[in-house]
Amino acid sequence: MIKIFERRTRIAMNRVKKKKSPFIYKSYSKKPKHKWLRKRNAQEQRFKRTGVFCILIAFFFLASLVWNIFSNGYSAFTEAQINLPVEFQAELIEDDAYRKIIQNSLLELFPGIEDRKEKRELFSLISRNAPHILEKIVEEDPTVIGRKSMVWIPASSAVSIFYKQHLYEQAKRSGKISTSQVAWVTDLARTQNMRLKFNATFFKNGDSREAEQAGVLASTIGSFMTILVCIAMAFPLGVATAIYLEEFARKSWFTDFIEININNLAAVPSIIFGLLGLSIYLNIFGLPRSSSLVGGMVLALLILPVIVIATRNALQAVPPSIRYAAAALGATPTQVVFHHTLIYALPGIMTGVILSIARAFGETAPLLMIGMVAFIADVPKTFTDPATTLPVQVYLWANNPELGFVEKTAAAIMVLLTFMVLINLLAIYIRRRFEIKW
Amino acid sequence: MAKFEKLIKASLLACTMLSVLVTGLIVLSVFSETLRFFSHIPLSDFFFGTEWSPQMAMRDDQAGSSGTFGAVPIFMGTFLVTLIAMAVATPLGLYAAIFLSVYASPRFKAWAKPILEILAGVPSVVYGYFAVITLAPILRAGGEMVGLSIASESALTAGTVMGIMITPYVMSLSEDVISSVPKSLSFGSLAIGATQSETIKKVILPAALPGIVSALLLGVSRGVGETMVVVMAAGLAANLTLNPLESVTTATVQIVTLLVGDHEFDSDKTLAAFALGFSLFFMTLLLNIAALIIVKRYREQYD
Repeated sequence: MIKIFERRTRIAMNRVKKKKSPFIYKSYSKKPKHKWLRKRNAQEQRFKRTGVFCILIAFFFLASLVWNIFSNGYSAFTEAQINLPVEFQAELIEDDAYRKIIQNSLLELFPGIEDRKEKRELFSLISRNAPHILEKIVEEDPTVIGRKSMVWIPASSAVSIFYKQHLYEQAKRSGKISTSQVAWVTDLARTQNMRLKFNATFFKNGDSREAEQAGVLASTIGSFMTILVCIAMAFPLGVATAIYLEEFARKSWFTDFIEININNLAAVPSIIFGLLGLSIYLNIFGLPRSSSLVGGMVLALLILPVIVIATRNALQAVPPSIRYAAAALGATPTQVVFHHTLIYALPGIMTGVILSIARAFGETAPLLMIGMVAFIADVPKTFTDPATTLPVQVYLWANNPELGFVEKTAAAIMVLLTFMVLINLLAIYIRRRFEIKW
Repeated sequence: MAKFEKLIKASLLACTMLSVLVTGLIVLSVFSETLRFFSHIPLSDFFFGTEWSPQMAMRDDQAGSSGTFGAVPIFMGTFLVTLIAMAVATPLGLYAAIFLSVYASPRFKAWAKPILEILAGVPSVVYGYFAVITLAPILRAGGEMVGLSIASESALTAGTVMGIMITPYVMSLSEDVISSVPKSLSFGSLAIGATQSETIKKVILPAALPGIVSALLLGVSRGVGETMVVVMAAGLAANLTLNPLESVTTATVQIVTLLVGDHEFDSDKTLAAFALGFSLFFMTLLLNIAALIIVKRYREQYD
């Protein structure tokens, strides 16, 4: 009896499933008869389409942002080089006149140039760094002196861009490349004396006035040192604050006050933290200007409330039964927290901390206030050395109107975004791998 | 053992006090510099003056050596840029949130929301670059086509890019609010024959309104305090105008230009930056508190 009943219900349910539900208005197949209903349906469609449209626009912005940066920046990862027949004359090397050697070989490549202006144009085909490159070659292998050999020398920024992208008009308009230079480059390209190489300089150098020599090494290291200081200060302070508020403090007007305080701190514009750093760290404590130490300390204040909030949420997520169990076995309150609750909350805390670090990594405005915008070509060695960070470097290069720096800016943004993606992936990994669902 | 416990507790408390001290320090340091500024420049000049030229003269005897500090054009510029940003971010963010929470399939939502939140994670300096390199030329070319001359550093450019930047923020916040409206409300509305859009407009949005308003206020507070986009895309000259095609300046831009570079610390010029910073701090604080109060007071308790 029961079995028959079960079968019948199953059949009935199947029927219901197969039939399209008539209760949802969407499945009206016929056009409604009434005009007012048609109007309402049309309104519904319009509304829905607007929603789709807005989502699409948001995606479009994201896509154009990414595409724009990629299309501007990918070319910065290559540089054009010119094959020069260099004669390492002993007397010139003794005089340290490497520039002269380069000039001689250029004149040898394009003989018959007398005009001084044309000569200058010819010499500016190659990077200003060329003499240093020759110097290095001689240092590494002194036997080269007195001989003649072909050397690949990086081209100057304007020539490089022209060669890479055939931006003849744009390069010419910027006044960086002349008609005769274009002719020479075309000639060099025809005779296979020009090539594109991976631009290692970009990753090996610090900032430079010359676009072809500017790199992101100094700013990347500056960024990491700044973040290191930032973590060292914000992590213990933030976690300790959260533990106190969540586990030890009795609820009172005072804890309420602290809570409101910290929540408000999280919404203060970042530039205000720069003002704080300027007036307290630099003017009262007298810490060194533009150093990664001060930068890290400013960013630490910035992410401190974020860390506190994230840690509190993670601690709240640990069920009280864990605490009771530990306490029942005789653990003291601090043992309960540090041996049990904190351990379980750690993945959540780490995720929050890493995400806040990502925010600090991309922060620019407060660092401008404490002078990290200075031109810094050297890699910082200690925490008190003048340093700059990647986003600030992006800002500095973006302000440079020279054509060579446009692609450098986009390339630096690509490096910056790569780091951001890596940091975020780390957070996602930790969350997926370690977080405990209660 | 008990001593050890007490020690740990005390050190935790010390850390907490230090964190709180930070807030106090911010207010105190910025506020004291602001007070010093207002001991030189009268309050009314700052808040009602329409002339902003903080450049100090080179020599003391030169005319107008003190600079004028009327901050109205700056607040106006901040207002204008934020207004444009919200004009972009409000419809985009709200419609996107509605679509994601009501119409989109769970699968689409599961990957679309994180992707759009990438936009919120991109550093603002990148948006600044985007504004300068891409949007400004496009807008200028577009303006020329219809016979408008748009300054290369216009409020429109800065505002639009800032709007793009705030959109995912507004979207994410209001999506959470809309999703948290109980399903029974919309089911009830659908059951008596309302279409989906009618349900959204007449049931879900009114129920979610306090949350949405507070999300918008938080968006405004972000826009007001945003620095890099306006530093790169808006101008430096303090024009008192409401024309979005002209170049305007904002409080954050002025703070940056006044304080970057070498300067002695006691001049009115640097103190003016602190006065601007304090007004900014105060403004965002008010906005955040307003957002908090709106959510607390007007939220309907459904469960």
